[in-house]
Amino acid sequence: MSKLIRKQIAENIAFNAVKESRFKTMRISVTAYLPLLEETASVNALMALVMTRSCEKYPDFTELSKKLSYLYGASLSSGFSKIGDIQSLTFSISGIDDRYALDDDVISKELSNLLCEVIFNPLVKDNTFDAVECEQERRQLIDMIDSEFNEKRIYARNSALELMCKDEAFGIKRYGDKDSVSKADAKDLYVAWQNMLKNARFEILYIGDSDYSTAFEVFDKRFNEISRTPLELKTDVLRKADDVKHGNEDMELSQSKMILGFRTAVAAPDEDTMATRVMCALLGGTAHSKLFCNVREKLSLCYYCSSSYIRQKGIMLIESGVEKENIEKAKEAILGEIKAMQNGDITDEELIATKMSMSNAFVSSYDTVGGINGHYLSQMFDSELLTPQECVERVNAVTKEDVIRCANMLTLDTVYTLTGVSNEEEG
Amino acid sequence: MDIIEIKSDSLAEKYYKVKHDSGLTIYVYPKDGYSSTYAIFGTKYGSINNTFRVDNGEVVKVPDGIAHYLEHKLFESEDGDAFSRYAKTGANANAYTSFDKTCYLFSCTDNFEESLEILLDFVQSPYFTKETVAKEQGIIGQEIKMYDDSPAWRVMFNMLMNMYKNHPVRIDIAGTVESIAEITPEYLYTCYNTYYNLNNMVLCVAGNTSVDTVLKIADKMLKKCDFHEIENIFEEEPEGVLSPFVEQKLPVGLPLFNLGFKETAPKKRVDEKTLACSEILLFLLASSTSALYRKLMDENLINVSFSYEFFEGEGFLGTIFSGESRDPEKVAEIIKEYIEDLKKSGIDKDEFEIAKRATYGDAISGLNSTDNIANIITDFDFSDRELYTYIDAIANTTLEEVEKRLCTMLDVEKTTLSVIRNVE
Repeated sequence: MSKLIRKQIAENIAFNAVKESRFKTMRISVTAYLPLLEETASVNALMALVMTRSCEKYPDFTELSKKLSYLYGASLSSGFSKIGDIQSLTFSISGIDDRYALDDDVISKELSNLLCEVIFNPLVKDNTFDAVECEQERRQLIDMIDSEFNEKRIYARNSALELMCKDEAFGIKRYGDKDSVSKADAKDLYVAWQNMLKNARFEILYIGDSDYSTAFEVFDKRFNEISRTPLELKTDVLRKADDVKHGNEDMELSQSKMILGFRTAVAAPDEDTMATRVMCALLGGTAHSKLFCNVREKLSLCYYCSSSYIRQKGIMLIESGVEKENIEKAKEAILGEIKAMQNGDITDEELIATKMSMSNAFVSSYDTVGGINGHYLSQMFDSELLTPQECVERVNAVTKEDVIRCANMLTLDTVYTLTGVSNEEEG
Repeated sequence: MDIIEIKSDSLAEKYYKVKHDSGLTIYVYPKDGYSSTYAIFGTKYGSINNTFRVDNGEVVKVPDGIAHYLEHKLFESEDGDAFSRYAKTGANANAYTSFDKTCYLFSCTDNFEESLEILLDFVQSPYFTKETVAKEQGIIGQEIKMYDDSPAWRVMFNMLMNMYKNHPVRIDIAGTVESIAEITPEYLYTCYNTYYNLNNMVLCVAGNTSVDTVLKIADKMLKKCDFHEIENIFEEEPEGVLSPFVEQKLPVGLPLFNLGFKETAPKKRVDEKTLACSEILLFLLASSTSALYRKLMDENLINVSFSYEFFEGEGFLGTIFSGESRDPEKVAEIIKEYIEDLKKSGIDKDEFEIAKRATYGDAISGLNSTDNIANIITDFDFSDRELYTYIDAIANTTLEEVEKRLCTMLDVEKTTLSVIRNVE
């Protein structure tokens, strides 16, 4: 298993590399971290999309696509997400390794140069981005926002989080809001781009077999030409819920959804973070968890019922798909499973199985380029960057007492339901 | 027992194919340096196989959704469900049913041999009683309802239901609440005994493993099966579509569409070369490099969700364009016009070259992941294709071959447009 090599380029900018000969492909990603703010979230998201659409060197979208496809179907993309109260903007490029080109193309070098072009030389004229390019991506971003409503499982999860964190930065969506997306203009995007280069924290991650020194040098040079004043990045953690918030929406659906949001009292990089992850997985993270075996299989109450832990915020969500008339019953059953865990009703087999399943996930992630990428990027706000093997060691150090202690720190914060009603009922 | 090595010098890759004495075909694809192993035990049996006969015997017709039901039920045995057995090995297990196959799989980093034993054991140990069959109706009923609420799922099946008149690809994989109510232990045993014969199945293992390890467990666990001739029976399917348009209202933020092109399916599954030509053709026609994509984007008709799929199986063949649009009818019109124009003007040489290189790169990238390898090899075995032959076919494809393929593919007279719009 190759180790991560990490080199500082400048204050708050690091170049990371995992040298791997096992894969047919290579990938470079550049991630910018900025505070998640109402004023900037939408402009930032739109900027990221516009930047991978075209650049000074390839001002035409179709020409850029052809260039990438000619390089054996290389792909260039950008994305935005949130890690706690921080917005992350990722620009990445991937393609096949030099060894597999049908002729003598040096693909890796072309790809790192192209990614650099996109980040440092976007299509800019008179201190503004291109208005036509901006309009095209704005329309698509609004389409994406509108279509998030299409899959109700995702819609329900987002609605629950929005209600739960309405007074926190984390309540802001990863793309801000539709209204701000509509208002952002090409000049705002230029300002956002400048702001990103000057103020963001950057993590560059190279995964592949080819020599990464070219990529390192080019990013080192370009970033050090900028005079920077990195912003402070922090996440507020609410450790305990005072009252339970309730939310419901009726919709013409055949299956209802219920989301329960908990405060865990533990958030990364707290010492108990791994123990809370184990607790959450034991409750509903695997196909042999308490929620799966008891609420889904034994009681047949839900088609899906699972828990997930947002460790940067100290939030645990339990998501379920349930018949309307079973909502209360399912809620009682879920809370019953938590109560059992709090009372120490955890067998050795359950704990071992949960740890084995988590270890399996950590180690397997290292067998794909995307997995390695995700493994390290998800840890950028933890206290240290652990290899999968080190994660396994931490998992194995968690005891039953730790799990019980963490379970007892859970407080229910939000109950959100999306209630399915038939056409007539809704009218 | 024959062990054949299948090799690609240009890719520096190889795998092994074994015809096991039990009747099972076994593939082993060792990946150096990988920590994980992925295994699939699959049968060439999916939702479309609802009418069949064995050894020229009597024709049997079974309720819709039974292949998927059987998948759920096999996870259970007399001594608990498979998930709880895998819990002891740490493997991550799952199963899926598609139109033409049912696959049971796991991935693991430790205890591979124990996990493989569990896989081979529970799939070979059917256990259905009246009570356990009745119990599953609740869970599967909820799964069906979940899909009823999924616009992406509905838009595709509405399209297939209107494209095909008789072929069972038009039926939802999980069946309906009504059809699954007809399922009995007897039906389940009939289907199981027909299609879960090892001669009709494949085991494919990729990752951190070796032929010896896999065969050691196979020898221990597999129960020899006699070969029987299975005949899948499909009613004759007309060449044209049943209906060119279908619309459904669901709560959606943005309309969704599927535009399907029907093609007459040959008796045999399409070969590697036809598959390669079809994929290259669709790339040059509708990928982000194409003039069609550009036109649809510039007219604000599509977004990044736009995609295309070559859709092929026993008795069905076609192409599906899908995405979200505020004006799906206009999208369909432009796609059809563009295809007509391309058929007249022919294919540009440079665009062909770009499409070929991109398709080749995509196929090679697929060799990174053990789950992708195992799934493709299983699928290719069931359709009489071989992985490296396919990758070589892409590299060797000529412009003339793709132009020839264009003549038979994408008939604008045989299309169905399916749309999901918001409830008013």
